[in-house]
Amino acid sequence: MLLELQFITEEEMNKRGQEEIVGFALIIIIVAVALLFLFSFYIRGNDEESAESYEVDSFVQSVLYYTTDCENFLGNFSVQELISECKSEERCSDERDSCEILNQTLREISGSSWQFGSDRPVSGYVFNVSVGGLELVSVQEGVQEGNFRNALQSVNSRGDSIEVSFRVYFK
Amino acid sequence: MNKKGQMKIQQMAFMLIAVTLLFVFVGIFFIKIMLSEVNQSAESLEEKNALLTVARLADSPEFSCGSAFGTSKSNCVDFDKVMSLSEISDRYSSFWGVEGINIRRIYPAIEGVCTTENYPDCGKINLFSEEGVGVSNFISLCRKSEQGNVCDVARITVYYGGGDE
Repeated sequence: MLLELQFITEEEMNKRGQEEIVGFALIIIIVAVALLFLFSFYIRGNDEESAESYEVDSFVQSVLYYTTDCENFLGNFSVQELISECKSEERCSDERDSCEILNQTLREISGSSWQFGSDRPVSGYVFNVSVGGLELVSVQEGVQEGNFRNALQSVNSRGDSIEVSFRVYFK
Repeated sequence: MNKKGQMKIQQMAFMLIAVTLLFVFVGIFFIKIMLSEVNQSAESLEEKNALLTVARLADSPEFSCGSAFGTSKSNCVDFDKVMSLSEISDRYSSFWGVEGINIRRIYPAIEGVCTTENYPDCGKINLFSEEGVGVSNFISLCRKSEQGNVCDVARITVYYGGGDE
């Protein structure tokens, strides 16, 4: 009789132990799921933050309006117009290559506006111009690593869909 | 049996305390992260707000290009208007509620403060003072010339009262 009682209690003890292990495992799973959820939420928030910048957007806009020294009989081209000229492989009235002028102008404006170096907050930048998905000009300077601010503008000029993107990297 | 029961209750109590502590620590960790994020977003909102104020100022009738240079452009400042305004800036000193406004031509970079004698071959216009906290943004600085409309890349800086706020 005593042996029987002892056997029952041991069996019950085993059962309770199993229940506790299952309970503990459940708690761990719930905590892990909660942590994963919060972590994914945190990561998603960071991505959105690094995407937009009003200052960089204004820079791209003012670059597109800049009046270049390339002209035809109608007058000087803005950068926006010069992109279309470059795409059509046209030349300026003084026979200079429009793409060369565009490249040089974008390089000089970016260099004057976003000076980079070891003693400055800007570490580098990338300026891309593409028309209809075809890359026309790409200006890259400095180190393209770390935090960045981005601006992408799509404009239509003379029937061409122009995409201008500028990304500036900070230390 | 009583002793075993007590042990079980103790075990359960310890378990509950451990789980509660775990949740509290995890909670504190995420609250800290979220608070730092709130601070960051507050700073970026403040910066964005200041930049928007600068943009709004650049688009105000006293500065903006309007439709004078072809199509209507945003973030475009009429150089001729600003030059005229600089001559009567005393009358506008409290109009925008800012300490000062400064426009600097970035490309092509030209040195020298603009006066009626050297205009348009100059690089900087100061309206009011240059004291306080400055917030700047890029603009197009456009003017009429013999060759037609000419737009340069410039930076407008708006100065707000005192840095000790």
